[in-house]
Amino acid sequence: MSHKELGEPVASLGFPRHTLVSLLIFAATWEVLSNLAPFLGIPPFAIPSLVRIAKAIGTITPIDVVVTLARVIAALIVSFIAGLALAMAMYRSDPLEKYLSPIIRLFMAVPVVSWILFAVLWFPGVEFRIGFVLVVVCGPVFMIDTLDAMRSVPRELRHMMRSFRPTTLQFFTKLMMPAIVPTIFTSWKVNISLAIRVVTIAELVGAVTGIGAQLSNAQQLFSVADVFAWTIVLVALLFLLEAIVSRVEHRLLRWRA
Amino acid sequence: MNTRDPGGPPPIEVRGVRKVFRQTTTGQSVVAIDRLDLTIAPREVVAIVGQTGCGKSTFFDLMIGLEAPSEGTLRIGDKSPHADFDYFRGKIATVFQQDRLLPWRSALDNAKLPLELIGLPEEEQRERALTWLNRLGLGSFINAYPHELSGGMRQRVAIARAFSVQPDIMLADEAFGHLDEVTAQELRDTFLALARESGSTAILITHQLEEAIGVGDRIIVFGKSAKLLADIHVAHWDKSQYGVLREAIQATLQANSPDPRLT
Ligand SMILES: Nc1ncnc2c1ncn2[C@@H]1O[C@H](COP(=O)(O)OP(=O)(O)OP(=O)(O)O)[C@@H](O)[C@H]1O
Ligand SMILES: [Mg+2]
Repeated sequence: MSHKELGEPVASLGFPRHTLVSLLIFAATWEVLSNLAPFLGIPPFAIPSLVRIAKAIGTITPIDVVVTLARVIAALIVSFIAGLALAMAMYRSDPLEKYLSPIIRLFMAVPVVSWILFAVLWFPGVEFRIGFVLVVVCGPVFMIDTLDAMRSVPRELRHMMRSFRPTTLQFFTKLMMPAIVPTIFTSWKVNISLAIRVVTIAELVGAVTGIGAQLSNAQQLFSVADVFAWTIVLVALLFLLEAIVSRVEHRLLRWRA
Repeated sequence: MNTRDPGGPPPIEVRGVRKVFRQTTTGQSVVAIDRLDLTIAPREVVAIVGQTGCGKSTFFDLMIGLEAPSEGTLRIGDKSPHADFDYFRGKIATVFQQDRLLPWRSALDNAKLPLELIGLPEEEQRERALTWLNRLGLGSFINAYPHELSGGMRQRVAIARAFSVQPDIMLADEAFGHLDEVTAQELRDTFLALARESGSTAILITHQLEEAIGVGDRIIVFGKSAKLLADIHVAHWDKSQYGVLREAIQATLQANSPDPRLT
């Protein structure tokens, strides 16, 4: 069910009119600044014109996009499974929860850059390093979110469920899992944007493929238009992934009022 | 359809049961139930009344087997609902105060839940759940989600869910208290008719004395810590005396000791 406000005009491409207008204004301002740059004392290459950026986007190598995407998705799946499994174990066992949660909190306080440096120190393989950084950053988020959600399943529903005598497996598959699905979706959205931003930094170090590697190349060659082009691709990728998750979410959560 | 043995459901025997809770925050002990003795015969329909906090729901938790007595024994037939937890799967069902439906399941899937837990074949689950939903007048709402149903209808789904397993023992914890009077009356009558017809032992907790008196065979009045203040066999009272009975129960509850009219 969509709650479009009355009279809100909907433009083509599925974008609401406001989004389209604000993007257009942004693009126009950019173009004006790009033309004014020489008079403002800004070097002309710093704000490349839209045409130059468009040309740069034309030279984007799809393989790098695919590689980055694959890294992100694979790492998110591993993080999700590990996070969920840990959360379930911690939900079942108080001592485990008490010993693990300080460590998880410690992990979450470590800056991403430090993880990248640790990964370089500890692991020789580039792919493994990138995967490690992504999982160590996203896994705890999945874990904390799902554990919180399990804790907030209403006491009444847990009591009702137990009164019908489920096995432990049934208790999880028929009550806890469906109950935390909404949180799982929110957590995925948060982690997708986290992973997209982290993967590029991780790819800056040592990777020869991927959007991060290409960004680093572009920067070394002073081709500013390419830097912008890759950035735009990255943002588009993020929006695309979020849109897919929202779609599935909408499908699966139709039971919500 | 009913596979229960011809002797009917097993009797419930409560002997010297105590239940003490230790409050996690204050560390204080609360005696929810203090040495309760009670026998409930097969197929009896019993109403339990008592003031708030007197241990009624705790007594249900002991019967369901979610809690173990601190002292004493509670046996259903020759088994303990707590120690032989799995044995009673599908044999005890409860209707709660709030409907406690799973919001992501349709009416049909909610009614099916306990049948899934006992592992019936898919086809039979569906058939049984449908039968009970139909009997509760929900035939045209089987695919509705809880949020699309009224409070009364949701409670009907909860009743269908409880009956779908054809339990030996049917419990209702203030199951009709939050509904308007007309709906409550209607649902209570349906509930009792179905319980009698399916031959279950039925135990209802209620705050309303009218409900308790209208219910059936026996009214049990709990005082503080589930102290047995009165055990009334309604059949011993003439219909014209119901007013007196009501007053006597009221007085018993207020004084926390048995009213002379009841003894
Ligand atoms: N899990 C628990 N931990 C600690 N104390 C509890 C617990 N469950 C119940 N109690 C206490 O036991 C007493 C009896 O509670 P119970 O819920 O059985 O009352 P009740 O008769 O059902 O009341 P109401 O009519 O309000 O539902 C209360 O004092 C309550 O605080
Ligand atoms: Mg209660």
